[in-house]
Amino acid sequence: MTQVAALLVLGLGGLAPVAHAAPPGAADTAAAMHAGPAAKNTCLDCHRQLDDPRLSGPTKHFPEDIHATHGLGCVGCHGGNPNDPEMTAMDPDKGFKGAPARKDIAEMCASCHANAEYMKRYNPQPYIFSMAEFRTSVHCKKIAEGDLKVATCTNCHGVHGILPPRDPRSPVYHANVPFTCAKCHNAEYMKGRTVPTNQLALWRESVHGVALLVKGDMSAPACNNCHGNHGAVPPKTRDISVVCGNCHGREGELFAKSKVAETLEFEGKRGCVTCHSNHGIRPPTDAMVGTTGEGVCGRCHAAGSPGERAAAVIIPRFHGFKASLARADSLIGVADRLGMETASGREQLKQANDALVGLRAAIHSFSLPAIETAMAEGEGLAGKAEGEAREALRDWRNRRLGLALSLVVIAALIVLLVARIRQAEHPTA
Amino acid sequence: MRGRLKEWLSDRLGLESLQHLAEKKDIPVHRHTFWYYWGGMTLFLFGIQVATGILLLLYYRASADEAYESVRFIMTKVSFGWLIRSIHSWSANLMIGAAMVHMFSTFLMKAYRSPREVTWLSGMVLLGLALAFGFSGYLLPWNQLAFFATKVGTDITGAVPVVGNFMLRFLRGGEHISGGTLTRFFGFHVAILPALATAILGIHLYLVQRHGMSVPPSVEDAGGPSRRMKFVPHFVLRDMVGWLAALGLLALLSALFPWELGIKADPYASAPAGIKPEWYFGWMFQTLRMLPSHILGIEGELVGILGIGLGATVWLLAPFLDDPRGRGQRARLMTALGAVAIVYVVGFTLLVYRGAKP
Repeated sequence: MTQVAALLVLGLGGLAPVAHAAPPGAADTAAAMHAGPAAKNTCLDCHRQLDDPRLSGPTKHFPEDIHATHGLGCVGCHGGNPNDPEMTAMDPDKGFKGAPARKDIAEMCASCHANAEYMKRYNPQPYIFSMAEFRTSVHCKKIAEGDLKVATCTNCHGVHGILPPRDPRSPVYHANVPFTCAKCHNAEYMKGRTVPTNQLALWRESVHGVALLVKGDMSAPACNNCHGNHGAVPPKTRDISVVCGNCHGREGELFAKSKVAETLEFEGKRGCVTCHSNHGIRPPTDAMVGTTGEGVCGRCHAAGSPGERAAAVIIPRFHGFKASLARADSLIGVADRLGMETASGREQLKQANDALVGLRAAIHSFSLPAIETAMAEGEGLAGKAEGEAREALRDWRNRRLGLALSLVVIAALIVLLVARIRQAEHPTA
Repeated sequence: MRGRLKEWLSDRLGLESLQHLAEKKDIPVHRHTFWYYWGGMTLFLFGIQVATGILLLLYYRASADEAYESVRFIMTKVSFGWLIRSIHSWSANLMIGAAMVHMFSTFLMKAYRSPREVTWLSGMVLLGLALAFGFSGYLLPWNQLAFFATKVGTDITGAVPVVGNFMLRFLRGGEHISGGTLTRFFGFHVAILPALATAILGIHLYLVQRHGMSVPPSVEDAGGPSRRMKFVPHFVLRDMVGWLAALGLLALLSALFPWELGIKADPYASAPAGIKPEWYFGWMFQTLRMLPSHILGIEGELVGILGIGLGATVWLLAPFLDDPRGRGQRARLMTALGAVAIVYVVGFTLLVYRGAKP
């Protein structure tokens, strides 16, 4: 009977197994949440002994829950009297609220997490949750429409064992986020919806996924870096250069100002994605600057169009510049191996390589004059580097020639000296 | 006209007495005569050092900010700058090599016997100065390898009992290697050491001239040299053949293996792996490296330094420790000591380059 009663009042089940208590009044939020480390928590004492795992389960992970470690008890979310060891502790007349309705969970969490004054008690620089931001998300909008098969706070953060995001065991730890999203964004769960479900598979093989999962580069983006987290939305056309530009600043800035950005928006195409794709994005290569093979220019610029004519100027010069860089590098390497001093040439080559990086960014301006200016700078530097390398090799050949001549002269002098010695010792000879 | 000029100069410079001296000087000819050429070879290479050093001075700038760049400028922009620097560096090594051959041959031929004790002592001082030239010159390009090799070298100096700390601070111009150390080493390299070397070299050459060439006891026992060779022109011409061969070798080494510049010294960088001193300090470096950390409760490095110091003192005092006639048991003991020293120095130097570790 005790178990049945408890089950009823906790109202466990569905997608949101357990969540926090309904929001108390703003003024007494802190008092209601904070049971204090020394306060009793008889909820755990009873629930731990119950046979039904749905009732005893929450007690297993709660001790390491971030709320528990900060001295917050069950009462904060569920109400009731934690000092009362009897069933009367869960008397609705005494403030017991049970499990919150799924649609109310975000509001309940926000009652504390959106309260800057309260959150600063635990962190002088707290993250302040914004209901306004959450309401912009597809998730919140669906919940508002009555669709409860979408994520709310507890689906991403967990329920009674919530860990801080910096904890690698947390489902919202940076490297875990894609897998957390995929718990819902998979073919089975999304059946009947139009949302694509291959994102995780594509992302894992992408330059971003490999950087984060294989190389452990925590600056590489997971889902939330492009889509947002609490305000998660699919980026729209005009947003994408801004989204990508958050990390790829120079490229994003140049692209946003370009005519191509306007045109793509007008045509309903999705900015950066048009050339680079999105979830499955591969490491960009210079071969993308082309009209055939891996080249992407030809995808949009039809033969004879102004874009194609500009590409006809850019593509051969771009690859010619790269060839001259490779040539200079190779010649400097040869000069190095021959023992020549190549520091100056190497410096020129380094600058030329920096110019190549600048040129790759400049391509995102889709402006022929800007790209030509960047190419001219790079070509000039690569030419100087190659010139220095050729000069070093010429010098090396001259040194060999000089050595041969000097050795001949020295040998001749030795022969003359030996003849002179013989003559001095045998004057009659 | 030519005769009158000669007469004019002779009246004022005493050329006749010089000519007389040259005509009078002769060299004993025997089976060890070959070793007589090594002193002249060392002197020739020293001359190369002076000439190329003066040329390098025209462009070199002795400051931590400019030294490396100025040497790079010499090697890349100055006509034949690379050749001058490479010859200077290679010649320095060949000179020390030639000086060592000269020293060991002198030792084994017992040429230090009376009345040539001071000649031996002055020669040893010259070798010490040559090593000091090498040590101070090595830092001047201010590259990473030189920086840390100098650090290791001066650290060892700092471990010398009593005066070590003073010597370390004196050499470095402070606690650490800095631009001040570079300026100081430059001063040693181009002013103090050349002045000392010129004075001691003058004494050494005067004594060689005064006492003539020593004949080894073994040759004396066999009835003395078969004949004597005039210093001018016979010995000088043979000397010149050797010098020309050395010049050819220098040209070959400089053109085929130009002296590297490396990367600029960065006091905050970690020491490059496998750092080792110049080869002529290698045997000492290897000795210290192979010693255990403590020997009979005394720091191993200190024992090593004291041991090397004691060995060097015995070596220096050889003329006074050996039998004055160069014969008998004491003489044989000294010869054995010389042979052991050669094997030890050569062996331990090779160990450095074979990557031997403690």
